[in-house]
Amino acid sequence: MVNDPIHQFRIHPILGPWNVFGQEIAFTNSNLFMGIIVLVVVGFLLLASSKKALVPGRLQSVGEMWYSLVHNMVENVLGHDGAPFFPLVFALFSFVLVANMLGMFPYFFTVTSHVIVTASLAVFVVGLVVVVGIYKHGLGWFKLFVPSGVPLAILPLISLIEFISFLSRPISLGLRLFGNMLAGHIVLKVFAGFVVSLVALGIGGAIGSIAPLFMAVALTALEFLVAFLQAFVFAILTCVYLNDALHTHH
Amino acid sequence: MSAGLFLMARSVDPKAWKGETDAKLGDISARLQDLDSRLAAEKKHSAQAEKSSTQYHGASDYSKGYRLVSEFVAGILVGTLVGYGLDYVFHTLPLFLIIFLLLGFVAGMVNLSRAANRTPPSPEELAKMPKPADDEDK
Repeated sequence: MVNDPIHQFRIHPILGPWNVFGQEIAFTNSNLFMGIIVLVVVGFLLLASSKKALVPGRLQSVGEMWYSLVHNMVENVLGHDGAPFFPLVFALFSFVLVANMLGMFPYFFTVTSHVIVTASLAVFVVGLVVVVGIYKHGLGWFKLFVPSGVPLAILPLISLIEFISFLSRPISLGLRLFGNMLAGHIVLKVFAGFVVSLVALGIGGAIGSIAPLFMAVALTALEFLVAFLQAFVFAILTCVYLNDALHTHH
Repeated sequence: MSAGLFLMARSVDPKAWKGETDAKLGDISARLQDLDSRLAAEKKHSAQAEKSSTQYHGASDYSKGYRLVSEFVAGILVGTLVGYGLDYVFHTLPLFLIIFLLLGFVAGMVNLSRAANRTPPSPEELAKMPKPADDEDK
């Protein structure tokens, strides 16, 4: 079908598949776009920082804004001892941002519209939170699940709820990014599909197709905002969770 | 009676009384008017601030709302998964699923209240925060 709104998320192998230890492994369009994302990020930042002018030009200005946005975020949310995590947060933000933005091009594949990608990133972040927390506070970090001032009788229940609440962090982190990208792209495709099928109906349909066309244009603008905001939210929540691990208050 | 009235009028001396208090009253009324105008300006100012803060910010508000929803849904989802997993291991299908679904609901509520009480700064708010000192000179 031409107007199948799900078709754009299909993964198909470009090279392979090869049989590696009984597993089918292929180089897919998702892998291709992940490679492109890394190339775009590295290429752009290299290009932006190539001149090193004291008064930045346009390109260098964008690069500096990009850098200082994340730098600001890490310093303000994590504090100064969070500086070692700056490269990680910057890499996460850049990857998600460029993945979302590349997805806005027609016929491009949106890497972050697959839950396995965003969930992997989120599980990695929360796994890092656990490692950093235990490294900084030892086994005392597990007091996170035992809030102070709770009567002993209901402590098991509260601990269980706290545990589930902690487990839900990677889910909500990954699900939000995935859900936003998937829903946005489907809605865009559906409205664009309305235009095509209405125009096919004849002159009356062509006039009627102005409304969904307008919606599609407006939604495209909104999607660009969402693409940036979701990358930002992902990065800042990474900072917030890392802050919890670094400075645990009991 | 008429004499009495006359006397009263004389003793009070309306003109002098009025003249004396006019200066005072004038002072107070001027200050009252001043206060009134200042209050009105303040009200207008705060109304404008209120209006701009409750205005629809488009995608920023949308992402905040989406964040709260996803926190809540994630709690329920994890509760369901943990409950179903335990049932799968112990072959007690509806038991742990029901218990952990309820616990997941509670955890989702806990997430929700935490996320609502401690919202991380939006890009606009972050831009208003003080810039960190450059640590290149160290």
